[in-house]
Amino acid sequence: MIMICPGCSCLCDDVYIKEGKVFNACRRGKEIFAKYNENRAVARVDGREVDVDTAIEKAVEILKEAKNPAIYGLDTTVVEAQKIAIDVAEKLNGYIDDNSSFCLGELVEAVLKGEMPTTTLDEVRDNAYVLVYWGTNPYHSLSRHLSKYTYYPRGKKRPRGYDEDRFLVVVDVRRSETAVLAKKNARFIRVDDDAELVDSFVKVVEGKAAKYAKDAGVIINEMKRADFNVIFGGLGLKYGLKDLNQFKEMVKKLNEVAPVYFIPAGFHGNMRGFNETLFERVGHVNKYSFRDGKSDEEFAFTELLKNEKIDAALIVGTDPVYSLPFEVSSKLGKINTIVVDPRMSFTARIADVVIPSAISGVEAGGTMVRSDGVRVKLEPLEEKEVNDVYILNKIKEGL
Amino acid sequence: MALNPMDIYKLLPKTNCKKCGEATCMSFAFKLLNREKKLEDCKPLYEDKKYERQRKKLEEMLKPLEEATETGLIVDESLCTGCGNCVVVCPVHVEKDPKGAAVGNGPTIDDPILRVEDGVVKVINMQACRRYGKNRVLCVVCRENCPSDAIRFLEG
Amino acid sequence: MRFSKFLKVEADIVVARHALVMDETKSKAEPVIFLHPEFAKRSGVNDGDVVEVEANGRIVKLKVKLSDKAPESGGVIPNGIYASYLTNFDGFKRFKANIEVSEGELTSVEELLGKIKS
Repeated sequence: MIMICPGCSCLCDDVYIKEGKVFNACRRGKEIFAKYNENRAVARVDGREVDVDTAIEKAVEILKEAKNPAIYGLDTTVVEAQKIAIDVAEKLNGYIDDNSSFCLGELVEAVLKGEMPTTTLDEVRDNAYVLVYWGTNPYHSLSRHLSKYTYYPRGKKRPRGYDEDRFLVVVDVRRSETAVLAKKNARFIRVDDDAELVDSFVKVVEGKAAKYAKDAGVIINEMKRADFNVIFGGLGLKYGLKDLNQFKEMVKKLNEVAPVYFIPAGFHGNMRGFNETLFERVGHVNKYSFRDGKSDEEFAFTELLKNEKIDAALIVGTDPVYSLPFEVSSKLGKINTIVVDPRMSFTARIADVVIPSAISGVEAGGTMVRSDGVRVKLEPLEEKEVNDVYILNKIKEGL
Repeated sequence: MALNPMDIYKLLPKTNCKKCGEATCMSFAFKLLNREKKLEDCKPLYEDKKYERQRKKLEEMLKPLEEATETGLIVDESLCTGCGNCVVVCPVHVEKDPKGAAVGNGPTIDDPILRVEDGVVKVINMQACRRYGKNRVLCVVCRENCPSDAIRFLEG
Repeated sequence: MRFSKFLKVEADIVVARHALVMDETKSKAEPVIFLHPEFAKRSGVNDGDVVEVEANGRIVKLKVKLSDKAPESGGVIPNGIYASYLTNFDGFKRFKANIEVSEGELTSVEELLGKIKS
């Protein structure tokens, strides 16, 4: 049976399991299938093991009593569950946010609002010539990105693939694995300050001198040779630039001389799904307050925690203790935390309530949205009744 | 750790005695690397005591030959992330599997040379490799596109 | 005699995903730092050493592995609980740290969880 791998936003669609072996999935993807039964969460309230219904009841009680509750995470679950989570946040008149507020949300938002032209990975495979990886090392974060979608495959208008029909550009502060691959028909640009390179691209289009004029000049000339070029931006770009508007301006400027698309590169399996689901509902992609009826920096989960603005958090399928800076995660110990997760995550180990769920894509079906916006339907290997949709529905009904 | 014929040649007797059946020691070195000859075929190396140190060095040097596949390909699974670059770039796959590996997917043919299994690359069908058999070419495309050195060849 | 034992060196740290040390089951984290071989040599640090990494007034003990993919003026800490413990949002993916060769136990996940919970 062909499976969709929910491991990252590539959502690879050629994975299968035969005679106990996982085929075609990368190392990280394989772990999700092969180790689906390891470190599973158990229902807990205040450290005591309980049954699932008791844990859900306790969660409802905490959320009802909370003055300022927030819902957070949701990037590894399906769109169907994300919708119910938004209902819960609305019912609570509370906050809702996901990892994208400190990840690539701003770039996804720019794409959804049409501030940068975008395309799909399938179009990239068939048509793209210049491929720019900016502040991302897909070799480790999206292992099959280059082999399945961008640089290596042969495409309709690029029948010789990377051999002659593509031009690879890697921008990074270090010579990453992806940078090592930039050999012939390629360019690796080591930057210290990303803004200087952004500025150089703009200046070269305008015919002015700039720090990286030589590199930018070569790349712009290559872009002009093709009718299809694409930039993939990752967290290095987001954190390398103080102001992403500069980058959006650069993409606009480049499009004056050659067609250049943008696709965000990074993140969890369904982060873009969350962004799109919330965007459809309230017109914003993340950090939203139903009480205030708007999205704002101060409503980012990390800011709410840091500034001690919330007293309870419902955390779904994400592990802030693992991924957030200490100054933020250390505040989790001070509020009531409810974790819904298939695994006994680091956060689950310090949470007040743990509700064990199903692994989306393995034990629960539904829709996820790939990094390029393509919607993908996931079928479970074996259906588990208590999944994110079930749990969130129960919470919603209980409120 | 790459092996090259020159390093092997330097340790051979360099007398071109022809006892191994080759015209020169250099040609013997090439055959050793291709595993068409065995070190024991060099009689002087084993019979003459003065070559003992060189022989021991050669034995040590040629050890990886035993671990490598028949084309000299060595996979270190501990370094592999399963990115699949090698599977997609393989010229044989491109030709034989136009709907699978050639367009970036996992192989759809039954006997690919390489395939990602359980998250790491495995050698499935070495005989199909262009480096195999009489008309071999020294193709290194899979290694060139492996950025973590999980794939190596004996000759480098 | 290794004088470096008494020396602290400043390092540029990049935080990045690393497929070989990630645990998709969320059960453990590897206390590791990948230092650039040149940087390690200059700083008197060897492969397999235990180093104290200090940033923002917080310290973790990590095991050194060498990688030429790391920044030449420092190293990569895989994103995860150890990097998160050291970093702030100001330098979420890239920050400066002091590194010093150390001895003894590597920092455990439990130790960090204890600090978060308290």
